[in-house]
Amino acid sequence: MFCMIKLQDVSKSYYLGEEEVKAVHNVSLEIKEKEYISILGSSGSGKSTLMYLIGLLEHPSSGKILLEGKDVSHFSDEKLSTIRNNHVGFVFQSFNLINKFTVFENVLLPTRYAKVKIDFSPQKRANELLKRLGIYERKDFFPNKISGGEQQRVAIVRALLMKPKIILADEPTGNLDTKTGDEILDVLEDLNKDVGVTVVLVTHEKIVADRTKRKIYIKDGEIVDKYL
Amino acid sequence: MKIQNGFTHLAKTAIADFKRNKVRTILTSLGIMIGVMSVVLLIALGLGLKNYIQEQFESLGANLVVIMPGSGFSGEGGGSFGPGFVGGIEFDEKDLRSLQGIAGVDYVVPLFFKTALIEAGSEKEGGYIEATNEEAFEVLNLELLEGEAFTKSDVARKAKVVVLGYVVAEKLFGDPADGVGRTVRVGNQRFKVIGVNKKKGDPEMDNSAIIPYKTSFGGLNPDKTFFTIYLGVALEEDIPFVKEKAKETLLKRYDETEFSVTEQAEILSTINQIFSIINSVLVAIGSISLIVGGIGIMNIMYASVTERTKEIGIRRAVGATEQDILNQFLTESVILSVFGGVAGLALASLIVLGIRVFFPASINLLSVVIALVISSAIGVFFGVFPAKRAAKLPPIEAIRYE
Repeated sequence: MFCMIKLQDVSKSYYLGEEEVKAVHNVSLEIKEKEYISILGSSGSGKSTLMYLIGLLEHPSSGKILLEGKDVSHFSDEKLSTIRNNHVGFVFQSFNLINKFTVFENVLLPTRYAKVKIDFSPQKRANELLKRLGIYERKDFFPNKISGGEQQRVAIVRALLMKPKIILADEPTGNLDTKTGDEILDVLEDLNKDVGVTVVLVTHEKIVADRTKRKIYIKDGEIVDKYL
Repeated sequence: MKIQNGFTHLAKTAIADFKRNKVRTILTSLGIMIGVMSVVLLIALGLGLKNYIQEQFESLGANLVVIMPGSGFSGEGGGSFGPGFVGGIEFDEKDLRSLQGIAGVDYVVPLFFKTALIEAGSEKEGGYIEATNEEAFEVLNLELLEGEAFTKSDVARKAKVVVLGYVVAEKLFGDPADGVGRTVRVGNQRFKVIGVNKKKGDPEMDNSAIIPYKTSFGGLNPDKTFFTIYLGVALEEDIPFVKEKAKETLLKRYDETEFSVTEQAEILSTINQIFSIINSVLVAIGSISLIVGGIGIMNIMYASVTERTKEIGIRRAVGATEQDILNQFLTESVILSVFGGVAGLALASLIVLGIRVFFPASINLLSVVIALVISSAIGVFFGVFPAKRAAKLPPIEAIRYE
């Protein structure tokens, strides 16, 4: 399989006052096209930071991030934003929909930041995806008027709209009950299988990670061999 | 599909936001509204006053040289304010005679001026005595509504006749035209009303009792002096010569700084100068409220950035650049500010329409342009700091913000 994203000795540090916090330390990993993997770690392990690095929302403090073989670590904000817009879809634990916009407006949000011409009809695609995820009837609702499971589906539709190569899901089931959470995982799994989009699932629950084909364990910002 | 990337989308989003926060939006714009309103109103009033005074001077007729005490409107092409702007010496009949001798002078009109009580029967009215000669009616562009003006011989024989201004005649007699033939007391002397002027719109002229200047020497003007002397010059090209000669003549009796000899053009340019200073001061005062309004906008925009931190993070995650976020917040502050500006302009226009009934205030294109340009500039200036803060928020922190 084609290597889509490669991290080489990537570290990310923050400063809390004087103190340096190494959120991610010397991480090297590869994510291949159409993979379905999970990053498993406890709270504070650095797994979310790692996800944001993969999603190009953060510049690494050191190391390289290669996207399809090209080093993008030092790309400008504009270039990285364009890559995020075209190739990356985020799904968050708290859904992160904008409450003042309707479901449909939320889904179309990425089109507003498209810097290259979109070669498909975003409205048509949005409608299709909403139907596929069973929330088409909710398209004119505001996010706070629909259930958590529905909100997460909306977030997934938004993440898929621009035909991304990779979906990064940060604890996507964290705010949902087990049944609804399972349904969301089914959706992600189907998308990986049917659409062929790469899915990276970030979680602290082993049972969730067990559903993916490959698991990466992270502890104290470093990749370890097994989950402790 | 056409992507709404540009201003339309930003404006739509901004307006949708404002609709959700109507009270806050209106209160924020209120500062700019009041600021723009006061600036536009002050300009309108300043311009109105200037036009009004200019008209008064222009109605004096062309080819006029004005001699006044004090250094007043002195200096070529504009002049400056010297010590003793007006006031100081007073002219007398001797000056009149010597000025009459200057070649090119068509007529000489003296003017004595004081406030006085004008009475008819039991009616009393405060007004002005204007003691002058028969030429004044032409020089001051006075037209008679009824009766006639006094003549040269009326002046020579100190006739006790008066021509009343429209407003004072109306107050004393009801119908101004009824005044002709009646008797009035001016400063306790009895005068026969021989004419009533048409309304001039100038409160001074409309409230005056115009009498022959020689008649005033009898007690109303015991010093036999004049405040102003007008020289009518037959040909425009003679004006410089007449001015020069008039100066020479007066210098024999007075010091250079004690009087001024000016032509109408100079007076007008001095008036313009005075009013541009007054206007600038007024606009500067009005601008203080604009700055306060701008600070209000900045304050709300900072609050809005904090309130919408998570939204900023989400937008960044789906591909918004720093510039996109900056543009979004900048558009909002400019719309807020321009909304205030347009509202202020509208309000000022309404007020000016009301004022126009009794004062010639006017809104010109300049005020409209100033209102719009200044309000957008304020939106940009006071919006750019909050917008920069929004743009520079680290996306991850923004997304995690609760």
